[in-house]
Amino acid sequence: MSKATDEVPSVTRRLLALLLLPAVAILMAGTLADYFTAVAPLGEAYDQALIDAAIAIAGRVVTTPGGRPALSLPPEAAAILRADSIDSVFFHVSAADGRHISGDAGLPDVPDRGGNPARGNSTFRGEPVRLVSYRTTAGTAPVTVTVGETLRKRDRARAAVLTTAVTVDVAELGLMLVLIWLGVRLALAPVRGVAAQIHRRSARDLAPLPLARVPVEIRGVVEALNRLFATVTRAGAEQRRFLESAAHQLRTPLTGIQAQIELLADDETDPLRRERLRNVLDGAHRLAHTTHQLLALARSDEAVTLDHRLEAVDLAAVVEAVLNERIATADDAGIDLGAQVEPACIRGVPWLLAEALGNLADNAVTYTPRGGSVTLRCGHDGHPFLQVTDTGSGIPPAERERVLDRFHRGSNARGDGSGLGLAIVQEVAHLHGASLTVAAGPHGKGTIVTMQFRAAQQPDPA
Amino acid sequence: MRILVVEDDPLVGDAVRRALAMESYAVDLVASAEAAAAALHAETFNLAIVDIGLPGASGLQLLRDARQRGLAVPVLILTARDGLDDRVAALDLGADDYLVKPFQVPELLARCRAVIRRAHAVAGTELALGALHLDLAHRAAAVDGHALDLTLREWSILECLAFNAGRIVSRERLTQAVVNWSEDLTPNAIEVYVSRLRAKLGGAVNIRAVRGMGYRIDVQSH
Repeated sequence: MSKATDEVPSVTRRLLALLLLPAVAILMAGTLADYFTAVAPLGEAYDQALIDAAIAIAGRVVTTPGGRPALSLPPEAAAILRADSIDSVFFHVSAADGRHISGDAGLPDVPDRGGNPARGNSTFRGEPVRLVSYRTTAGTAPVTVTVGETLRKRDRARAAVLTTAVTVDVAELGLMLVLIWLGVRLALAPVRGVAAQIHRRSARDLAPLPLARVPVEIRGVVEALNRLFATVTRAGAEQRRFLESAAHQLRTPLTGIQAQIELLADDETDPLRRERLRNVLDGAHRLAHTTHQLLALARSDEAVTLDHRLEAVDLAAVVEAVLNERIATADDAGIDLGAQVEPACIRGVPWLLAEALGNLADNAVTYTPRGGSVTLRCGHDGHPFLQVTDTGSGIPPAERERVLDRFHRGSNARGDGSGLGLAIVQEVAHLHGASLTVAAGPHGKGTIVTMQFRAAQQPDPA
Repeated sequence: MRILVVEDDPLVGDAVRRALAMESYAVDLVASAEAAAAALHAETFNLAIVDIGLPGASGLQLLRDARQRGLAVPVLILTARDGLDDRVAALDLGADDYLVKPFQVPELLARCRAVIRRAHAVAGTELALGALHLDLAHRAAAVDGHALDLTLREWSILECLAFNAGRIVSRERLTQAVVNWSEDLTPNAIEVYVSRLRAKLGGAVNIRAVRGMGYRIDVQSH
């Protein structure tokens, strides 16, 4: 789980949390239960040994001829009783009134709370002890036999039980963690598969996602996506049909009007009427140009987004095509239009790139005085680029940012300053992931407009 | 020279017919693919100018059928769509050239001349550019009937430029046109050959240098 997913909800994390926390709690409860079920009989066994010892000692309490109880325990027997390599064992025989009869004086009795023998804990000689008091009678005199031992054995046994229980349970917990983690990951693999599939495809790919291997839990999401793709595709197809129809409906009459006026002007012998017809023709040309640009702009987005027909484009071919189309206009304007071509290839839409470069070239030709030169360049300077250099008046650095505004006042000399030229250049740059920059030409003369494409792209043989 | 114009828009059709007639072409104007197919079947044309957007069968359909029937008539396609796909489709179907509406009359005329010229060059052995005539079979060039004395390399360059009249031909392509496998040629050498060609051609045709690109023969309308 990467950093990026920390903030967003994650089914994997949720599942892991929902499964792991209860699992940990259950295992911990199990550990405690194991511990207590193991420790209780352990304490019972040790207590039983003390009780046996107390009863054995009580059996040795005799009544002296004076009628007083006394303990008749041979030293060997006492030694056996006290023999313990780990714990210290104590015993004490006392009369009902607490009077010391035999054993370790000062070993406290367990108060009589009804049970016999009674068990309890206390401290003796600075160490905690477990005590058992057995009340009996010697003859007629009641006596209390108390046996105690330090807790070292019990502590060790308890520690051993605890260690074993915790070790086993920690191992179990670890195994369970791994199994749950693996399980969750495996269970969610198809979901990740779908996500990866969506992630991998191009943003422009509108083909429906295959449903065959989509888990039922997210099938609805994928189906909704597919419906959306279908809607967008349909909308795109409708837009395309509309634009094709619009192009035909606009361009055909324009062609007719233009050609008819042109022929009329050629036929006209009266210079004044001829001039008027030329003006009308000029207007028709501007209208045709604007129509062309509007249609190009309208189609540009659709061409890239919906057609996803990006293909390997040789920028040199784009430069050549633009140059071929513009050379006559440049000659008329007294501009030396040339090229500087180095190999460069990108993935793109050729006609859109030609539109953009054509607009930049038109702009440069318009703003360069007669006798100047305009150069169309392409090449690969770390990044593939298209560039237009002119020897026009240039732009002061402060105004360079605004230079693309020229398009807005744009080509006023030829009267087609609709701002569409800039819009097309910017749109084409945007669609191709290219940046647009404006700089001063060599020696501060003229202007260089560069469209730089993002990555070095190799021609795709596919 | 006889040209069939297939255009359903009366305004455009009439303008194209008039413009071609002024250039002394004989023009037949029809408004549908069906009528065009009949005309192509009955008559022989030097060129067909076909609009893609026709009522009924489209211009592309007409082109496909004509080529399937083995008609070799040169075809210039007119279309209102400027995308590349239509152009590729048209050229794949056997169109010779492609012109996007709205076009201007001089451009239409230039394209017609170019298509007819290329068709003649391919079919026959002759290529004419204004006053310049190239005899492709004998590699002989003449201006106004006077033979030019050209070296093989000068001829190759002229032939290559003439085939592509009105279009820029890159220096690399010209180099390929004149170089034998064993030889190497500097771009400067091309310049030398072109300037010699210009001298020999006089003013018959204009070989224009396009800075950074190559050369282009521009033909004045006759």
